[in-house]
Amino acid sequence: MENARKIIHIDMDAFFAAVEQRDFPDLRNKPLIVGGLPDTRGVVATCSYEARKYGIHSAMPSAHAARLCPAAVFVKPRFEAYREASAQIRKIFTGYTDLIEPPSLDEAYLDVSGSAACQGSATLIAQDIQQKIRQQTELTASAGVSYNKFLAKIASDINKPNGLYVIRPELGTQFIEALPIGKFHGVGKATEKKMQALGIFTGKDLKRLSLALLQHYFGKSGLHYYNICRGTDPRPVNNHRTRKSIGIETTFQKDIDCHDSAMTQLLALLNKALDKTACQKLLAHTLTVKIKYHDFVQITRSRTLQEPITNRINGLWLLNDLLKNTETGTRRIRLLGVSLSSLTSATPIDHPQLDLFENFDGQNT
Amino acid sequence: MKFIINREQFLPPLQQIVAVIEKKQTMPILSNVLLVLTENNLVLTGTDLEIQLVASMPIENKDFARITVPARKLLDICKLLPNDAEIKFEQQNDKVRIISGRGRFSLSTLPAEDYPEFSESAVEHQFSIHAGNLKKALEKTVFCMANQDFRYYLNGLMLNISNSRIKLVASDGHRLSVFEDALETAVGYEARIIIPRKGVVELGRMLDDSDLDVAVDFSSNNIRITLPNLVFSAKLVDARYPDFNRVFQQDFNEPVLISRQLLKDALARVAILSNEKFKGVSFDISESSLKISTHNPEHEEAEEELSIEYQGEPLTIAFNVQYLIDAVTNLDSEDVILTIASNQSSCIVEEPVSQAYKFIVMPMRL
Repeated sequence: MENARKIIHIDMDAFFAAVEQRDFPDLRNKPLIVGGLPDTRGVVATCSYEARKYGIHSAMPSAHAARLCPAAVFVKPRFEAYREASAQIRKIFTGYTDLIEPPSLDEAYLDVSGSAACQGSATLIAQDIQQKIRQQTELTASAGVSYNKFLAKIASDINKPNGLYVIRPELGTQFIEALPIGKFHGVGKATEKKMQALGIFTGKDLKRLSLALLQHYFGKSGLHYYNICRGTDPRPVNNHRTRKSIGIETTFQKDIDCHDSAMTQLLALLNKALDKTACQKLLAHTLTVKIKYHDFVQITRSRTLQEPITNRINGLWLLNDLLKNTETGTRRIRLLGVSLSSLTSATPIDHPQLDLFENFDGQNT
Repeated sequence: MKFIINREQFLPPLQQIVAVIEKKQTMPILSNVLLVLTENNLVLTGTDLEIQLVASMPIENKDFARITVPARKLLDICKLLPNDAEIKFEQQNDKVRIISGRGRFSLSTLPAEDYPEFSESAVEHQFSIHAGNLKKALEKTVFCMANQDFRYYLNGLMLNISNSRIKLVASDGHRLSVFEDALETAVGYEARIIIPRKGVVELGRMLDDSDLDVAVDFSSNNIRITLPNLVFSAKLVDARYPDFNRVFQQDFNEPVLISRQLLKDALARVAILSNEKFKGVSFDISESSLKISTHNPEHEEAEEELSIEYQGEPLTIAFNVQYLIDAVTNLDSEDVILTIASNQSSCIVEEPVSQAYKFIVMPMRL
């Protein structure tokens, strides 16, 4: 394992809830839930450790959380406060390395392979960062240290909260072999089930499968699984990650059962997504619509255009077209989402192509 | 239900039908092909509710039966059987067994009663045309159709019947092609309809080069084209096609006469160094000479000069080179004529003598 990288994963402990408890002392030591209120269809964004004792976890419907713990306090998220805390933390990181990748507000990967701080010890750097976060933000973070992103992330979870865990290169293999399959990067619930059905329960089991077999069962992801169970995760810590998609979704208080109101909602979502895209000086070529029916069955429909999607009429036309092959209007809808992808930068075109039918509407008279 | 059919007889119509069936379905039965057996006849039907294809073929059979089976799986099995294989079908309860050689397959079914009816309104107009002529007219125009344009009426082909003339028009808004032909029998009416893109593409595949007559029936809502053993139906696009004839009513510059082959070759060479995305090339037209030039973001440049016949003022105009290549490739004459209104307006590309086939190409802003 020569030239092993030194990767730190910093994960804030119950971030949103911790910020709330810091700013509002009344909420301290109480089961606190940040997210949707229990009489709505919202979900838990984050909950305090006191709430986790009741079996509450993020993404759980708030109403369900309230049943598990009737004494829980619910507050709506204050993203402005979280963003501010997140920026403070990121500033701390810059004292150690430039290679920082923050996948979300409450976590970050740091590549400190080239860092001279703390005599180059990643473990000491991680401790130092944890201490600074505590001093400057009154919040706690957990840290994981290892030689790739996948293991660093798993490590940060091991001694949570306010913990530190190091997976050294020489112990990596042993660690991975014992790891339950569901903990592997890229293995979600569905893949976990599929693997278990194939008799794969741990990293050791996964390692026994040939690359060809993994590709047969899991297609493109096969190579990733093959690599990752051998401790090979070459993904760099990417500090200039460009967004791949811009999406918004919304869950309704009451299910939508008519086509027209679904269209109205989608159009509003599309306009918001287009505004966001425009703010970042980007143009999208793919539009994806996500529909969750009342029984939680979820589908997506997407379409890619050669020309960019704009809030001129082609968005409306596309939405209409995408809904054609769904059960909108006949099956009740709980959630709608719109996502824009295939993003390109919006540079003005020097010599635009002129159009024959600039102002023709095609209405049949 | 029980019948035996030869793979070579069964496969081509099944392939045509599967091309119509959409991969993602909200109604599971639409992924199926409907098999209807009558005396000495087997009929296959596939639809996506926008277009429908019905193929019939003779077989030796006595009973009547109707059933639907997964179309793509049936096709994949039949495709992979050896040439000339005899395929035996047999219904067993809610399964259809397929036996060929030493292979046994059992496919799930859905009841034929649930297969959706393709609604068609009463026929308003009819005409007939040689299969080969219709195929040629389609080939000369379809590539100009828009694909997934928000102006949905452009995602189709406009068919204009005017007594003894048939005209096909396709456009993506940047260029437009018009192909005109004579009908053998005058019909005494004038009509314009828009056939949706997918239907046009399927129709092109069904036709051969023969001078066999195909019967075309249509109303304002749908069209039906009947070939021997094959009936194609499609819902029409409910829209008005833009009035492109206004283009011809502008003031034009003097026409430019160029050798078609020389122009085609020069364009193809210059295109190599044009911007990969926008494909822009400039035309500098002066008396007796046309200079075609381009450059790309890598600062590579190309220039070609052709001699032309032109009596007008010098003129500079830019085009997407692909649109011009498509036009000069499809025209059949020795020379072509470019007639330009202005470098902000349209250019007509056509044959010097015949007026039957022409293109309108919109320029790029300089």
